[in-house]
Amino acid sequence: MTAHRVRRFGRSGLGFVSIGLPIVMFVLLSLTAPEFFSLENIGNVNNQITALLIVALGQLMVALIGGIDISVGSVVSLTSVLIVSLDPSLAAPAALLLGATIGVANGLGVAFFGVHPLIMTLASMTFVQGLALLLLSGAGGTVPAPLILMAKSSVGEVPVAFFWCVAVIVGATILLNHSRLGLRIFAIGGNAQSAELSGIRVLTPRLACYTLCSLAGVVAGIYLTGRIASGDPTLGQPFGLDSVTAIALGGVQLSGGVGSVLGAVLGTITLGLIANGMNLLGVSPFFHAALTGVLLLGAISLQRRKVIGI
Amino acid sequence: MHSDAKPQGSPLRQPWIEFRNIAKRFGSIQALTDVSFCGYAGCVHAVTGENGAGKSTLMKILAGVHSPDIGEVLVGGREVAFAGPAAARAHGIATVFQELTLLPNLTIAENLFLGREPRKAGFVDRRAMRRAAKAVLDHVDVDLDVDVMCGDLVIAEQHLVEIAKGAAAESSVIIYDEPTAALDGPGVDKLVRLISEQKRAGKLVFYISHRLDEIFRLCDTTTVLKDGRHVTTCATADLTRNTLVSLMVGRELGDLYPARRAPEAGPNVALSVADFVPALGRPPVSFALNRKEIVGLAGLEGQGQREIVRALAGLISPEAGSAKRGMENDAAETIGSSVVGAVRAGVGFIPEDRKSEGLYQSLSIEQNIGLGMLRQAAMTARAKIDRNRVKTLMHDMNVRARDESQLVSSLSGGNQQKVMIGRWLASGVDILLVEEPTRGVDVGSKAEIYRLLRAFADEGGAVLMTSSELTEHLGLCDRILVVRDGAIVAELDGADANEEDVMRYALMGRTAEGAPA
Repeated sequence: MTAHRVRRFGRSGLGFVSIGLPIVMFVLLSLTAPEFFSLENIGNVNNQITALLIVALGQLMVALIGGIDISVGSVVSLTSVLIVSLDPSLAAPAALLLGATIGVANGLGVAFFGVHPLIMTLASMTFVQGLALLLLSGAGGTVPAPLILMAKSSVGEVPVAFFWCVAVIVGATILLNHSRLGLRIFAIGGNAQSAELSGIRVLTPRLACYTLCSLAGVVAGIYLTGRIASGDPTLGQPFGLDSVTAIALGGVQLSGGVGSVLGAVLGTITLGLIANGMNLLGVSPFFHAALTGVLLLGAISLQRRKVIGI
Repeated sequence: MHSDAKPQGSPLRQPWIEFRNIAKRFGSIQALTDVSFCGYAGCVHAVTGENGAGKSTLMKILAGVHSPDIGEVLVGGREVAFAGPAAARAHGIATVFQELTLLPNLTIAENLFLGREPRKAGFVDRRAMRRAAKAVLDHVDVDLDVDVMCGDLVIAEQHLVEIAKGAAAESSVIIYDEPTAALDGPGVDKLVRLISEQKRAGKLVFYISHRLDEIFRLCDTTTVLKDGRHVTTCATADLTRNTLVSLMVGRELGDLYPARRAPEAGPNVALSVADFVPALGRPPVSFALNRKEIVGLAGLEGQGQREIVRALAGLISPEAGSAKRGMENDAAETIGSSVVGAVRAGVGFIPEDRKSEGLYQSLSIEQNIGLGMLRQAAMTARAKIDRNRVKTLMHDMNVRARDESQLVSSLSGGNQQKVMIGRWLASGVDILLVEEPTRGVDVGSKAEIYRLLRAFADEGGAVLMTSSELTEHLGLCDRILVVRDGAIVAELDGADANEEDVMRYALMGRTAEGAPA
């Protein structure tokens, strides 16, 4: 029984498609769009994907336990509304508290009351979006100057968005690969019943995942509101599903247990490159959406669907 | 042999684990009734009994998976109530479950230490974890790389890792639930060595098994359960194979079962199965199923009865051999290869899990039965169900329901099973393959289901059934084929056979021939 089988990508879900796609896209755009390969444009891409990256890493946590959170987009919107409606010193803590509450509610609904995650987060998405529009019916309001600075300035040649990205990537990596919670998240996603028989509690990690995802929405909302320097009650609308697209492109299995921070990052970069490239090549945004759909289906079909027996 | 008999060599010590008057009920099934006995530290304690005797349920109570309805569990003289498996582990009770609990997407090291990972500065100390995991595997003498994902291991390797997981836990009690089911010879030797070591270390080892060889080889004390009740706890040395078998069986049959008819002469073979290999690695089986006959495939759980039935029903594709309607040499129709093919050939299948595999829970009785009548209708034909026919069937089968529009999900287990049988009666098949005809069914409905199956046979049908209840084979079947390790080791006449005969063949195979009764 001398087994020495080393699986190349383990439980990361990464494969040749999820790694190769952004590289191929990068090379293609460098060849076809003359303005693409410049420091300024790369910085642009970074700015454009930062908020999505933060949300995608939150979505990753939920996907790893076999869930999905489509409410995270309206959490982004609600945060944006709170930033411009509340006293600057209170706005961020209030948004974080509210985000945590929404996350715990989602988690309890799914893990304790057994509501399907899609239904649970559809309900909270609708509720939170309504709340955001109730507080602020259209884009506007004043964003505190320090926040704008935190989102838009640069350190030397490097835009501050880059540091936001590094911070959330490092945070998510430590959590998933080095903490006990991370190991439990993978265990529960692999098989919740076996995990329970192995003597670990399965409720708390699930609550933690939904809470982390909502908090990621709050952080993305704070960043994005600073960047556009205005409050917007529909700011986060695309994020709920785009974050799912991003992690799926990055090889994360929505059935749980398989996925990685790197996958979420690569998937987000892929989406960012598509948007940027279409823009540079002057392609209609409607065509861009159609292409993203085709690409998603194509990429998922080419990925290894059956990963380590899950 | 009384329950208060103490194991040899430890007459003075306090019991480490004590079960007091444990009772547990699942729905309509009383799994355990008033079970009391003790286990002593430094002792290998077998818990044995027939299928469904309650041994796994009892051990799952000790492992914190179930909680008892009545009674208490004492650990080291103190009463405990476990909220879940985690609580049992915290009390030093490690379990090697029969169903694997390894996470496929975790490495061996992660699986071994899940829930109590070594930490450094608040983070998982992977280096220490790998080192400790290597030490555990070396100790159990398993040569595997601790960084391999458990999903990549073959089943036998997974079982070894599962055993290592039990050994890795800090524990005073280790429960092994049928640990040798998937182990090969060297694997069993490793387990035996490990258990002797754990015994020397002063642990209490509960060993659930119905393999007599292992009980006599390993265990100091043996507890026998029967029908959820405690029969005896005594030193294994005081038992012989035959006394143990008779302690495990022996029951009144009562008049639950309909009368058999005298066998008819003449060629009336309904199904002939020749050199049939239901699944890879199983030996070929050959037998014939006659009209007007009920044949039972008896044996211990997981010996291949289920595979034979499922392969005949077309659910799994057989590796080799043939199954034909009528005599083997006739130019008869071959059945199998697909469910649709089997049904078209007039073979109906009643699965043991009627909830998920048999019935349409969200449809009415009428629709569930009616689907049988429509089996030969074209896809585009109007789905008209003959309501009077359904009503007649319901009346004949004594289905207790408000009316034919009631949802099957709201029926009792027994009535659901009747609806399941009714569907095949309505569809006009003449061969029925039945798994566990009365699982989860109350006693009253049992008698009615037996009557239905007997009536089906009397009208010219043929029934092949599996059951984990030996009495069902003895009471209902005309012939009993005993299956062990996938092979048919004995053919017994249903009317003459007794429980001990069947169990002896099921436990010991062909070598049981000529054994003293």
